[in-house]
Amino acid sequence: MTHTVTSPSAGRRLTSRGWLHWSLVPFAWLLVAADILVILWMILSSLKSTRDMVLTPWSWPSEFLWSNYQDAWVAGEFGAGVLNSLILIVGSGVGCILLTAPAAYALSRFRSRLAGAHTIFFVIGLGIPAQTIFIPLYVVFDRAGLVDSIGGLMLIYIGTGVPYALFLLTAFFRSLPGELEEAAAIDGAGPWYTFWRIMFPLARSGLITIFVLQAIGHWGETFFALVMLRHRTTLSLSLYNFAINMQYSGNRYNVLFAGLIILILPLLILYIILGRRIIEGIAAGYSK
Amino acid sequence: MKKGVSVTTMPAVASPVPETASRRRQRLRMSPLERSRRRLFVPFVYPALLVYAAVMVAPTVFTLWISLNHWAGAGPMQWAGLSNYTRMFKDPVFRTSFVNTFWIVFGVGVGVFAIAFLLTMLLHDMVGRKLARAVVFFPSLVPGIAISILWGFLFNYPDGLVDTLLVKLGVDHPPAWLAQDNAFKTILVGMMWLTTGTYTVIFMAAVDRIPRELYEAAELEGAGPFARFRHVTFPLMRDIVSVCSVLWCVGALKTFEFLLTFSAQDGALPSPKLWNFAMYSYGEAFNPDGVPDYGISSACGVIVLVLTGGLAVLSRRILRKDSVTY
Repeated sequence: MTHTVTSPSAGRRLTSRGWLHWSLVPFAWLLVAADILVILWMILSSLKSTRDMVLTPWSWPSEFLWSNYQDAWVAGEFGAGVLNSLILIVGSGVGCILLTAPAAYALSRFRSRLAGAHTIFFVIGLGIPAQTIFIPLYVVFDRAGLVDSIGGLMLIYIGTGVPYALFLLTAFFRSLPGELEEAAAIDGAGPWYTFWRIMFPLARSGLITIFVLQAIGHWGETFFALVMLRHRTTLSLSLYNFAINMQYSGNRYNVLFAGLIILILPLLILYIILGRRIIEGIAAGYSK
Repeated sequence: MKKGVSVTTMPAVASPVPETASRRRQRLRMSPLERSRRRLFVPFVYPALLVYAAVMVAPTVFTLWISLNHWAGAGPMQWAGLSNYTRMFKDPVFRTSFVNTFWIVFGVGVGVFAIAFLLTMLLHDMVGRKLARAVVFFPSLVPGIAISILWGFLFNYPDGLVDTLLVKLGVDHPPAWLAQDNAFKTILVGMMWLTTGTYTVIFMAAVDRIPRELYEAAELEGAGPFARFRHVTFPLMRDIVSVCSVLWCVGALKTFEFLLTFSAQDGALPSPKLWNFAMYSYGEAFNPDGVPDYGISSACGVIVLVLTGGLAVLSRRILRKDSVTY
């Protein structure tokens, strides 16, 4: 398109900012401020005593009770939860990617007649809710001795992660240039070698995005953890157990909030570091 | 070297042979690369396919079967035909769940999309849009269970944060947000807050791709903000809105974590007044206070699946029309 000659001020664009715009902008900033305040308030609350939290919720902590975190970590079993959640995240993320990446590659680049039907079969999984599959999974896992096992839960996370990962990765592989594959083929590399040594590393950024998105999802996953685990715990289960048992063990909101922060802070840090990748990954998944 | 490559192998690899061309001709034109790749289709695709089928597809089929039987998880199944479904629809708790699910999908859905649109329009040319977008998005990354605990604390009666604030502001009788009749509405608002960010981000990405000229043209024609939205933005975003509404339905129907911690009564699960389909399905199978009824639980799971599919098709139909290219 050609551009008409416009002075910079005429290119000011889009919308003349009417009264509507100006009356709504404060609303947007109010929302932004509220979000930030809530997080700051949560962090401060997790360092107070419960008494201070309830009686003077708006004031600065009279003293910083770092012991809240120790209580949460040990007595609230958040430590065990964090460990298991980390194992689950890494195991299921890596497992899901190692399984899905070759499939997505083949489906997007092998130009097989079967590719279309197979892709649809995978993508249907995006619409299968957890509530539709948990009973058979529980029954079968129970018989196989996989209930209350982190490995069993990991298998579920891998399987349920496949449709979304495949959906994003097929789009990603499709966007990579084909010349490298051809060059590799000329040099005598088989497809297997070409994939693992050339295309897989080339897809690094897409794979990392998938890993991060799934890690965020699984860090706080509650439903399957609740169904499958008994004595073992994940981070979200520790939080859940602590919250529902407070009516018996006394209202230790400060420890509960320390637990909340243990759950949220890693996400916040990750988000500050990788924010753009996360936002773009999510937006990309929807828009193509 | 590279030139040579493209000359010798490109025609076979890259020429878009239509799928309808006769297979024989295709085979003749297929390069060795293509042929060796086809042999590897199964080893590449099937490991993922098998795990996916084992964890998601087979259980779905099995759930269909269980929903037609009486089963407590142990012992033999007993053929029940459709009686699980008829019993379920007579259960008042299921009816409440139905209404609540409806409110989550449509009530919260309309709210979320409306706020997301509004924010999109606002943030479009606001100073500091990147920051605002980043902050507004963050709640949607936080696990539902964490937000619901926070929500329960903020709206506790009478010593929750919101009510103490209202008292300070001079309100004599602050509302009991989490009392039986109000709790669900409070939860709905919380869900809106939780999910608005996701859709704002997606819509913003979509709006950013709309060419500026269209807005300038509209403005020259004298279109105000509403007219610009109605005639430029919305038609061009229709496709994305349609995809988003499908994904919203899929996600909203299985809302579970956010409800889980609102256990007003003692007992592990929230009061049945707050149940939705997901909670009902879980409660029928795993309620610590009840007898497990896998048949009913599965029937509810099937209903959720059918609704998911139905709503997905419906929202594609309604919003698709003819998509506009630009």
